[in-house]
Amino acid sequence: MTDFDWQPLLLTFRLATTTTLLLLLVGIPLAGWLAFTRFRFKPVVEAVISLPLVLPPSVLGFYFLLAFNPTGFLGEKLLSWFDLRLLFTFEGLVVASIFYSLPFMVHPVQAGLENLPVSLREASYTLGKSRRETFFRVLLPNIKPSLLTGLVLSFAHTIGEFGLVLMIGGNLPGQTRVASVAIYDEVELLHYGAANAYALLLLVISFGILLTVYAINKRWVIF
Amino acid sequence: MGDILMPMIHLQARMNLLFASGPAPLDVDFKLAAGSLTGLCGPSGSGKTTLLRILAGLTMPESGLIRVGDRIWLDTAQRMQLPTQQRKVGMVFQDAALFPNMTVRQNVEFAAENRRDSLVDELLSLVNLVNLADRKPATLSGGQRQRVALIRALARRPDVLLLDEPFSALDYETRQQLLNELVRLHRQFGTTTVLVSHHQDEIQRVADRILELNQGKVTDIGSPSVAGKITPVPIMGTIQEVQVEETTTQLRIRLTDNLVVLNVPSGAQEWQIGETIVVSLGTETLTRKAN
Repeated sequence: MTDFDWQPLLLTFRLATTTTLLLLLVGIPLAGWLAFTRFRFKPVVEAVISLPLVLPPSVLGFYFLLAFNPTGFLGEKLLSWFDLRLLFTFEGLVVASIFYSLPFMVHPVQAGLENLPVSLREASYTLGKSRRETFFRVLLPNIKPSLLTGLVLSFAHTIGEFGLVLMIGGNLPGQTRVASVAIYDEVELLHYGAANAYALLLLVISFGILLTVYAINKRWVIF
Repeated sequence: MGDILMPMIHLQARMNLLFASGPAPLDVDFKLAAGSLTGLCGPSGSGKTTLLRILAGLTMPESGLIRVGDRIWLDTAQRMQLPTQQRKVGMVFQDAALFPNMTVRQNVEFAAENRRDSLVDELLSLVNLVNLADRKPATLSGGQRQRVALIRALARRPDVLLLDEPFSALDYETRQQLLNELVRLHRQFGTTTVLVSHHQDEIQRVADRILELNQGKVTDIGSPSVAGKITPVPIMGTIQEVQVEETTTQLRIRLTDNLVVLNVPSGAQEWQIGETIVVSLGTETLTRKAN
């Protein structure tokens, strides 16, 4: 247990929290747009969002590696315009995690919105309310279980990241050395005790989160 | 409203619909008098709902013109379409479409201009929902839900009130009660009302005029008295007060929410306070108050 350190765990939760909060800002409007748009190329957008579900994280990691590279076009612009380095930094992990966990936020919220009776939306319009007001005051409050599911799945999925972090984040303590990477590292060094401590904590916390969600969602079904 | 006033609504619309018998055009052109209550009936799938949705701006016809008072709501020739939000319509949906996250009061407040709007309380008491104001829609009965939907639509202060078979899922007695309340509110708020129903015989007693939609065409079956069939309508009431005079007995009867005074010959029968009675009304016994 000598090598155990709270830092990787704290970093994991910081990454998951930041990613989830940003995903709320990005994912909910995106899900709302997808649920109601008649855009011709909607299937293309949906397919792109769902890619992280099927691709190995190393594929995503590989392309992020190319894109974030400071000598590449995007990486260079980010660096010169915003002084933002995304390779081997916490910020880079956040950006990559947003793409990586996007389907976990978008899918439940989109499905929740699509399953609401159309008449709710239309009733609100006939009562003079704009699309935006309808979305925030009528639609979102009535898909709380979907929102909670999206929130928690995104959070849990980000906790579970490994391959992607390894490819674009590396193993910098306090910056990119999240718990999943720390476990791998400790096992490589044959520090089974420390690896077990990280692993067990992740297991217990993740289980606790999921259990809470399913328990709450069961109560919310009849609202 | 037998006499023709200035047409409040003029609706012209054409669009292709898919009927049970195959595709056929919906092609209508009619006017509705201001403050009238029009019953719209016809076989299911004949486009009744579509017609209401066109009026509300929820469905766009291929071509059409809607004029309400002196405002143009839709003129496809000018590529002009007033969004639903800017049309002063109140719509009551078949499924009530109450917002599950809000209480009864919040649902009505949502439609009012502001939360302090005194109309909210007035409407709640008009349909006897004050006691249920803090309940969520999921805990209400079907009839109560439609009552909330009705007053929510009125809280918007609409010029045009559209009802899409709102009472069809309710039992006979509740349906009659709600129809009575609808007529009362329709008169009180002076809306131009269109009520879609497949119970033609039932709306005949409340409507000023009946339109029938069949195969995409509207036929005017005229005002109910012209249509001929007048069915007496039984209304349940409770006796509140009995005053026995020499020749007549005055009964104060509560019919739904109204207190009605009825004079009946004395001696023929004993009347008791609290007793439930059925009053039968025929439309021929009613005379319209001159405007």
